Amino acid sequence: MPREIDREGVRRLVDQGAQLVEVLPAHEYEEEHLPGAVNLPLRRLEEQAADVLDRTRAVVVYCWDSA
Amino acid sequence: MTEAAPVVACVACGRAIDCCEFCDRPDCSTAICYRCVAVALRQATRDLHDHGG
Amino acid sequence: MYDYVAGKLDWLAAGGPIEGTDAATPRAGDVARGDVPTCGLDERLGEVQERTRPAGFDACVVVNQERVVLGLLRAKELDGDPASRIEAAMRPGPSTFRPHVRIQEMAHHMVDHDLENSPITTSDGRLVGLLRRDDALRVAHGRHQAEGDAT
Repeated sequence: MPREIDREGVRRLVDQGAQLVEVLPAHEYEEEHLPGAVNLPLRRLEEQAADVLDRTRAVVVYCWDSA
Repeated sequence: MTEAAPVVACVACGRAIDCCEFCDRPDCSTAICYRCVAVALRQATRDLHDHGG
Repeated sequence: MYDYVAGKLDWLAAGGPIEGTDAATPRAGDVARGDVPTCGLDERLGEVQERTRPAGFDACVVVNQERVVLGLLRAKELDGDPASRIEAAMRPGPSTFRPHVRIQEMAHHMVDHDLENSPITTSDGRLVGLLRRDDALRVAHGRHQAEGDAT
């Protein structure tokens, strides 16, 4: 179960080398995303995560909001 | 007798509101409710994305 | 694995940096006037009148010590009795908008609603500045022309 973090938590983890993952559809990601974030739409997260993400680094996922 | 607060309908969703939530005017001809303003300006999202997140 | 539950909307509303094709799109926070006159609840309208219009503004934002927006004095309120307290004269709880809202959308809505100015605040209500319709239209129009030239 992922741990919930806030904005300051994101900044802290990114400073420590965490990977940012936006799970929104590609066109949403392309318009605007957090600096350094990669795009893994949720429906493809499981199949692509192993290829895209570094297992040795923390991962922070985010969506549009909490809805 | 107390007069009822004027009511207008949100032009986007039809909900009855006291005043326009964009310009704060009770007699706005394009009155819009808080939720519809937030969605229109991307300050919130009404729709769940198809990925459920 | 961590979940940033509040998400991209929270990041944008707080004015966080972004990347992407829309990153350079002018936003309300970029165009809002941070030098808008402000005042507190306990001041008198006369004191505010003396400094608002000479500064080139026709609105003054009522804020607390943390710069959280409490109310707004637009032209109609500014024409009131100089002896009245701001708390009585102001329009409380005005509609406010976030810095990340695209300027073209704000301009469009401000014209539709004939609104001359709008307070721009962070998601916790702190004043970023006052967005003037003329400024929004000028920037939106400039952006539109630039996009037209590019096509």
